[in-house]
Amino acid sequence: MLFHSQIFILGFLPLCLIGFFLAGRLAGRTMALCWLIAASLFFYGWWNPPFTLLLIGSIAGNYGLACLIRRLARASCFIPVDRSIDSSNDGSPNDGRSAATALISCAGTVFGPAAPNPAKPVRRGPHRPHLARICLGGAIAANLGLLAWFKYADFLLAIVAPDNATLSIFLPLAISFFTFQQIIYLTDCLRHPEQNPGFVPYAAFVAFFPHLIAGPLVAPRDIMPQFQAAGLATPDAGNLQAGMTLFLLGLGKKLVLADMFGAFADTGFNAAARGETLTFVEAWFATLAYALQIYFDFSGYSDMAIGLARMLNIRFPLNFDSPYQARDIADFWRRWHITLGLFLRDYVYIPLGGSRHGPTRHLGALAGTMLLGGLWHGAAWQFVLWGGLHGLFLAVHAAYAGPPLPRRLSHGLTLLAVILAWVPFRAADLPTTWSMARGLLGLNGVTLPQMIVAAVPSLGAIADPVPVLLFLGDARTLSFPEVSVCLLLGWIVVLTLPHIHLWHARTRTMGLTAGFALTMQALFFAPHVSPFLYFQF
Amino acid sequence: MHRIVIACLASILLYATLFGLLLDRPLTLGLPRALLDSTIARGSAIEGPKLVILAGSNGPYSHRCQTIEPILELPCVNGGVAVGIGLDYLFARWQPLLRPGDVVYLPLEQAQYIRSRAATVVGPDAAIMARHDRATLANLPPERWLGALFAFDLRALVMSMIELALTAARFRDPRAEVTGSVNAWGDHVGHTPTLGSANAMILATARPEHLTAHAIEAGDGTRMVRAFLIWANANGVRVIGGLSTGFSDTPLPDATLTAIRTLYEGADTMFMRLPNNSRYPRSAFFDTPDHLHEVAQIEHSTAVARALGALLARSTGTDLAFMAPGSAPPR
Repeated sequence: MLFHSQIFILGFLPLCLIGFFLAGRLAGRTMALCWLIAASLFFYGWWNPPFTLLLIGSIAGNYGLACLIRRLARASCFIPVDRSIDSSNDGSPNDGRSAATALISCAGTVFGPAAPNPAKPVRRGPHRPHLARICLGGAIAANLGLLAWFKYADFLLAIVAPDNATLSIFLPLAISFFTFQQIIYLTDCLRHPEQNPGFVPYAAFVAFFPHLIAGPLVAPRDIMPQFQAAGLATPDAGNLQAGMTLFLLGLGKKLVLADMFGAFADTGFNAAARGETLTFVEAWFATLAYALQIYFDFSGYSDMAIGLARMLNIRFPLNFDSPYQARDIADFWRRWHITLGLFLRDYVYIPLGGSRHGPTRHLGALAGTMLLGGLWHGAAWQFVLWGGLHGLFLAVHAAYAGPPLPRRLSHGLTLLAVILAWVPFRAADLPTTWSMARGLLGLNGVTLPQMIVAAVPSLGAIADPVPVLLFLGDARTLSFPEVSVCLLLGWIVVLTLPHIHLWHARTRTMGLTAGFALTMQALFFAPHVSPFLYFQF
Repeated sequence: MHRIVIACLASILLYATLFGLLLDRPLTLGLPRALLDSTIARGSAIEGPKLVILAGSNGPYSHRCQTIEPILELPCVNGGVAVGIGLDYLFARWQPLLRPGDVVYLPLEQAQYIRSRAATVVGPDAAIMARHDRATLANLPPERWLGALFAFDLRALVMSMIELALTAARFRDPRAEVTGSVNAWGDHVGHTPTLGSANAMILATARPEHLTAHAIEAGDGTRMVRAFLIWANANGVRVIGGLSTGFSDTPLPDATLTAIRTLYEGADTMFMRLPNNSRYPRSAFFDTPDHLHEVAQIEHSTAVARALGALLARSTGTDLAFMAPGSAPPR
């Protein structure tokens, strides 16, 4: 089910909200969370019901592993006072019984946080438990193994045995996101073993439909307490209004802006994928349109997710902070898909050595992190190329030791680098990437509509006049000015305006006034609905 | 929450005011509107029986009433406009002008049979009705009213401002120079093979696909044609179904042809096809498979006129002058 579908907006969302607050009022927070889990599973199953079992299995399995890790981590740090309860447990990390009792004890925490056992006062130890680390490693490997099977098996098979038939494995929706989300949680269990929210809050946290499909990736320590808050299932007019406004503004970003720019980008990139030759203007317009499409699409989705969560009294972190206004490439990654960036920093870049082990290791960590980040987006070489380009940009930025560049120059270079890197990201394959690159470099010639050349004759010196540009917009006489003005508007918005989370309430209301009717037009009358770009990852 | 509600209502009001009263697309939609209005005016001025050709742009580009009229000795109006104009709108505009004894020829493009309802309700005619033709809109179903209100997306807003600015700046529309113009009958003229040579690459790479019989049978356009045929039969208007033009290297499948033929003959109306099923070499086309260049347009129109004449003669038992010996279909 898509956030921007009629069935979601008119059916699922109102029912979910009503059921959640009604359950909270009649039966308490835990039942409200159970309703939320059921609604989230229904939301996920709408796409492909059998894969709901995979999600349920992943949640249950990871919760069990989390309990085990937490228990092992606690056990190694604890000195039980009442040895009569568990006389054989000496706190050793190698104590096999502690693992077994950890799993069993999980059953007691299914419907809420584990109550502290007064019979077992604990003392914090100075070191992390070795066995818990091994268990965490195994749990992460199991999660990544599952992800690798679904996402990368065919890709790897094509590399090692290109002549073999593919396995044609169907990629379950959202597996990348809910896998990473749970890896974060498992790691947190080792770091904070004393915090056990219980199964229901955990399942609600992972399956929570606003972020289940495409994030944002959230830190459990930030979100889990909100699921355990007493007032969670009580309607809050302020949150409902703020959430609905964010949702509608995000919906507008997606339906009005992203889909419009997507149509322009598709014309060019699809033509290149068919083997057509794009000239300079066609290639640049398609690329500029895609840069806007992916921004409005994903930031619109994130705004909708944040808004939906807010309606349910959950606050999500910001995921986009006007990234195209970044002053350098490192700044861009602090603003683009912020939650994934933080995940990659904490769970890939720092473990790879970060910046603390000399310049060579630092550059390697940057490149490695971005290569993995690229591969995370999809099992294809063009994603590796995209990640590699960003790794290279970051490495050059980190290695640069000259005087600071003027802000505008720095901004311009960053923007150019980011836009050019979107080409492999959007292209169907590497040959399409090269084809687009040739167009962008002008190697396929420069053409302009004869109407434009007639109006500005000096352009005839650099461009050949043609009746229409075949791969621009709808390839009509006025497509060139139409796409030009749309791109201009889009770039003015992303380069000059603050993101909507910084807007005052009055500005948001004005934004809603400007965009609501166009959003409804797209929602109910657009000929087709485009899925979110990030759903494919 | 009231702030959201007020903002949403204000947005709808602003939108309706902008698109219903202020903004317009004089270049993009002005041309089809002008064509429609001029052919309607010609049709209403004709006393007595007439031939009306209704289709998409295949009508004016591939058929020439100026050629057909003297052969059939029947006043002719080329009422085709563009494939995006909804058939229900086209029929609604023409029905008040059709009288018993009139002949309507429908060489519809295949896309017109299967155009979805969703696409029809927000098509270019919805924008035309919202701004300029609310009288016709009032006679269409309520879903068309809503569609007309919400027919404008952001691109329409941008295009409106561009077109209004160009018009205010006395912009000289270059389309007449590159595609030709329209004559008094509603025929597109001046789309010569020489002008068409600029589109050689488009024509060479075009890969038209035919619809399946099932798609045609189930299409929303088919439903509208069927309703029009019932109306025509009840009002003494003779309808003749036909085929749009296309490339001879992509012949029409028998099943598709049968589906189109059955639509008309199944409703007790006539169907006419030329021996070549209106298929011509790519060199006979101007810019798309629906648009012959004017040399081929005239030849095709001559063949159509003779075939229509023969069909009408058989149906009425009249010996018509145009059935001269030695008449041959176009090459």
